[in-house]
Amino acid sequence: MTVVNPEIGLAPPEEHAAHDHGAHDGLFGWVSTVDHKRIGILYLVTALFFFAIGGFEALLIRLQLARPNSHLVDPETFNQLFTMHGTTMIFLVVMPALVGFANYIVPLMIGARDMAFPRMNALSYWLFPFGGLLLHFSLLAGGAPAAGWFSYAPLSETPYSSTHGTDYWVLALLVLGIGSVGGAINIIATVITLRAPGLTIRRLPLFVWMTFVTAILIALALPVLNAALVMLLVDRQLDAHFFQATGGGSAILWQHLFWTFGHPEVYIMALPAFGMISEIIPVFSRKPIFGYEFVAGSTVAIAILSFGVWAHHMFAAGLGHRADLAFAIGSMAIAVPTGVKIFNWIATMWGGALRFTTSMMFATAFLMEFVIGGLSGITFAAAPIDWQVTDTYYLVAHFHYVLFGGTAFAIFAATYYWFPKMSGRMLDERLGRAHFWLTVVGFNLTFFVQHFLGIMGMPRRVFTYPDLPGWGELNMASTIGAFIMGVSVIVFLWNVVDSLRHGKVAGDNPWNAWTLEWATSSPPSPHNFERVPPVRSRRPLWDLSHPGEHPEGVEPSEGARAKPGVVAPHPDKAVVAAWAFIGSETGFFVALVLTYVFFNISTKASAAALDVQTTGLFTVCLLASSGTLHLAEKHQASGNGAAFRGYLLATLALGLVFMGGQAHEYMKLFEHGVAVNTSLFTTTFFTLTGFHGLHVTLGLIALGILLRLAFLGDLGKKPSQALKAVGLYWHFVDVVWIVVFSVVYLRNVL
Amino acid sequence: MTTTELLLTAWAPGLAVPLLCVGALGAYAFRVRRLGGGLDGRAVWFALAVLFFFLALASPIGVLARGYLFSAHMLQHLILVLAVPPLVLLGLPRETDDPDQKDESRAGGTRGLALAWLAGVASMWVWHARPLCNAAATVPAVQWFQTASLVVMGLAFWRPILAPRMSDRMPALSAILYLFAACAACTVLGIIVTLSPVEVCSAYTMPVDTLGAMPLLRGTWGLSCKADQEVGGLLMWVPTCLVYASAILASLGRYYVGERPSLTAGGVR
Repeated sequence: MTVVNPEIGLAPPEEHAAHDHGAHDGLFGWVSTVDHKRIGILYLVTALFFFAIGGFEALLIRLQLARPNSHLVDPETFNQLFTMHGTTMIFLVVMPALVGFANYIVPLMIGARDMAFPRMNALSYWLFPFGGLLLHFSLLAGGAPAAGWFSYAPLSETPYSSTHGTDYWVLALLVLGIGSVGGAINIIATVITLRAPGLTIRRLPLFVWMTFVTAILIALALPVLNAALVMLLVDRQLDAHFFQATGGGSAILWQHLFWTFGHPEVYIMALPAFGMISEIIPVFSRKPIFGYEFVAGSTVAIAILSFGVWAHHMFAAGLGHRADLAFAIGSMAIAVPTGVKIFNWIATMWGGALRFTTSMMFATAFLMEFVIGGLSGITFAAAPIDWQVTDTYYLVAHFHYVLFGGTAFAIFAATYYWFPKMSGRMLDERLGRAHFWLTVVGFNLTFFVQHFLGIMGMPRRVFTYPDLPGWGELNMASTIGAFIMGVSVIVFLWNVVDSLRHGKVAGDNPWNAWTLEWATSSPPSPHNFERVPPVRSRRPLWDLSHPGEHPEGVEPSEGARAKPGVVAPHPDKAVVAAWAFIGSETGFFVALVLTYVFFNISTKASAAALDVQTTGLFTVCLLASSGTLHLAEKHQASGNGAAFRGYLLATLALGLVFMGGQAHEYMKLFEHGVAVNTSLFTTTFFTLTGFHGLHVTLGLIALGILLRLAFLGDLGKKPSQALKAVGLYWHFVDVVWIVVFSVVYLRNVL
Repeated sequence: MTTTELLLTAWAPGLAVPLLCVGALGAYAFRVRRLGGGLDGRAVWFALAVLFFFLALASPIGVLARGYLFSAHMLQHLILVLAVPPLVLLGLPRETDDPDQKDESRAGGTRGLALAWLAGVASMWVWHARPLCNAAATVPAVQWFQTASLVVMGLAFWRPILAPRMSDRMPALSAILYLFAACAACTVLGIIVTLSPVEVCSAYTMPVDTLGAMPLLRGTWGLSCKADQEVGGLLMWVPTCLVYASAILASLGRYYVGERPSLTAGGVR
C-alpha cells in the first residue's frame, strides 16, 4: 500500500511521482489509489453508474403511469421501483456526486497536497459502492425494499415488510452513512488544517466554505439516521419494540428520528450545489461574487435552522396545532437566507460581461428552476396547504425542482466547469447545448405538469390511477418529458466519452478563473502543485494577473499588522478529526438516550431489576481509566516511557474490567430470561448500553494498537497527537457512560 | 375574565421589582458618567434590558409563571437568560483593551469558557428538574433565587460573546461553535419537554386560582396541562434556537468585518 503524506506539502515532484503513481497504474492503480483526485473521479463515475440505474427505474415508473389503469407493472413492483429510485438517487447519486466534486476540488482550491487522511478517504469511497451493492443485493434475496425512501414504520416493520428488502435497505444505508461521516470528518480536517498560507477562513472559495458547512451537517445529521436504522434493524431482527405499537413502541418516533436527519439532508444535497453556483456565476460574469459575506453567512444560518424545522415533514402526522405553528414559522424563516442567495447570484450577473457557456447556462437555469422549487416549498411551510397536497404529485414536483432543477443542474454546471481540469480536455459545447436544452425541456415537461396533477388530487406512490378528466393527458406529457430527459443523458454521456478522446485540449485555466485549482496543470500532477501561488485575497489568480492593484477581500486591518510569512499554526489534524468524530457520535448517542428517556420516563418499575451497586463499581473502574489515560498522556509528553506504558496498560485493564462487568450483567439478565424483545424497557436498555459497550470495545482496540506502538517505540519522544486523539475519544466514551448511568441506573435510586 | 382583562389586571409589580429597575438605571447612569462619557445609543440597550426584566417579573408573564402556566414560566425563563443578559452587556459602555494583557487571558481561557458555557446550559436544564421547578413556581423565595441565578448565569454565558472589553470576547469563529453547542443542548431539552408524556412541573397541573383566570386559560386559550407544557417545550426548542442563530450570524458578521484584528492570522482557533 502506498502511503501519501500530505504534510510533505510542496516536496519535489519526482518524489511523489515515484511514490504513488509510478508504482501502480491501470486498474490496480485505481483500486488501490489514495489520491484525492482519483478517488473523486471514482465517486463521480460510480455515481454516474447508479444514476443510470436510478434513471432507468424512473423511466419504468413513468411508463407505468403514462396511461390510466395501466398494468405494465404490478403494485408490488411499483413500490419497489419508487423505493429504489428514491434511495438510489439520494444516497447513491446526489450525495456521492457532491462528495466526488468535493474530493477532487477542495484540496486543489485550498492549495493542499491531498485530503487530511488519504487512506480513510479511500475507505469512505469503497464503502459507497459496497453499500450500493448491498442495497441491490436485496433483489436476489427475495425482493427490493418497498417501503419508500423514508421507510415509515410500521410499514417497514416485519409484519408489513416480510421480505429481506428492508433489512438490506437498513444495512446499505448504515454502510453508506458510516462512509459519509468518514468523508465528512476528512473534509472538516482538510479545510481546517491544510489551507495554504494566506488562505484564511475569510478568503475561502465559497465552494470550499459550503462543502465545509455541509460536512458539518453530515457529521451531525447522519448519526441520527444511523441510530434510527439500528433501532429498526433491532426491531426486525430481534423482535424488539421501538416502532411497533403492539409492544408499546411508537411509529411516530421513527418519523421524528428520520426527519431529524432528513431535513438537514435536504441542505446536505443543496449547499454544495449552492457552492458550485457561487463559483461558476462569478467566473462567467467576470465579476467577483456580490456580497460574499452574505452568501457565506446565510449558509451558516441555513445549516443551523435546518436542524430545527424537521417537523414540517410531519404536519399530516397529527402533532397538534401548536407544534405545527412553531415549525411553520421556523420553516418560513429558513426560506429567508436561501432567498438572499438567489439575489446575490442575480446581482453578481447584473452588469457583468456574461459568457453563456454550457456551464453558465446550467447555472442560470438552476436559478430559475430552484426558485420554482423554493416557492412551492414555502407553500408547504403553511400547514393547511401541506395537509391538502402532501403525498400528492404536487410534492413530487416540488422536491424534483429542488433536487433535479436545483442540485442536478448545479452538478451538470460543475461538470462542464471542472471537466477540463479533471481530464485536460474541454467538453464539446455544441453537444453541451443540446444536452442543456433537452434537459431543460424534458425536466420542465416532466415535473411542471405534476404540480397540476397534485392539486387535482393524484396521490403519489399509487401504481395506477383512474381515467379522470385531464389525468391521462398530463401524465402522458410527464412521461414524454421523462424520456426527453433520458435522451439528454445519452447526449451527455456521449459528450463525455467523445471529449475524453477528441476534446479540445484545455490548458491550465481555460475559463480564466481565479481560484487555486486553475493554477496547476490540467489534469493536475499527483502532487497537485509545483508551487502554490501567494494568497492575498479571495481571487489569488486575479491578483497574479493584476499586480499592484488593490486585491478584493483583504481584511481591513491587515495592512497595519501584516507580517509576511507569519501564519498562525493550524491545529493538528488528528485532534480536529477526533473532535469532529466526537461531535458526530454525540448525535448518535443523543438519539439513543432520548429514545430511552421517551419510552421510560413515566415508569421506574422495569429498571428496578438492575443492580445499581455492582454496575456502580464497574462505573468507577471506567472513570478511573480516564484518569490513568490522562496520566499516560502526561508521561508520554514528558518522555517517561516506562510510566507511560504502565498507565496505558492500566487504562486498558480498567476498560476490560468494565466490559467484563457489562458481560456479567448481561449474562445474569439472560439467565433470568430477560432479552431484547422482553419489553419496551429491555429493548431500549440493551440497545443503549450495548452500543455504548461497542464504543468502549472500539476504544480498547485503539488503546491496544497504541500500546503496541508504545512497546515498539513508534510513538517517539514528542507528544503524540494520535494518543491525544484516542484519549479524547476515550474520555468522550466515559462521559457518555456518566449520562447513561445517570439516566438508566441512578434514576431508580433517586 | 377575558384576555383583555387578564392582560390589564394581572400585574404584580410589588415593591422590589420597580426598585431594582430604578436602581439599575441609576447605577448605569452613574457608571457612564464616571467613565466620562455621555449617554449614547448603548443606553437604549440597557433600558431595554431593564424593561424586559420588569415585564418578565411584574407583567402577566410573571404572574402566570407563578403556578398558573408552565409556558409563561418558560417565557419568563427565556427572557431572563436570553434577553436580559445580552442586552445588559450590549448596553454597558465599551472599555478599551488593556495593552499589557496577554492573549491567553482573553475570555478566561478554555476552562473559563467551558464554565461559562456550562452556566448557560445549566441555567436551562437545572431549573427544570422537577423539585426545583415546582419549588420555584410556588415558593416566592425560591423564585427570587431562581431569577437571580438565571440572570447571573445568563451574564456568565453571554460575557465571552458580548463583553464590553473586546479582549474579553472569544474569537468569532469559536463563538459560533460555543453558541451552536448551546443551541443543541437547549434543543434537546425542548424536545424532551415537548414530547414528554409526564409533567415536567407538576405544580402547574392544579393551580390555586386566586385570579379566577383558569376558565380563560384552560377554556378560551385551550391550554390544557399537556398543551401548556407542549407550548413551553416548543418555546425552548424553536425561538431559543432563533436567538442563538442570530447571535451566531452576528459573530460571523463580526468576523467578516474584521473587528478583531488578532484573528486575521487565520486558522480556526
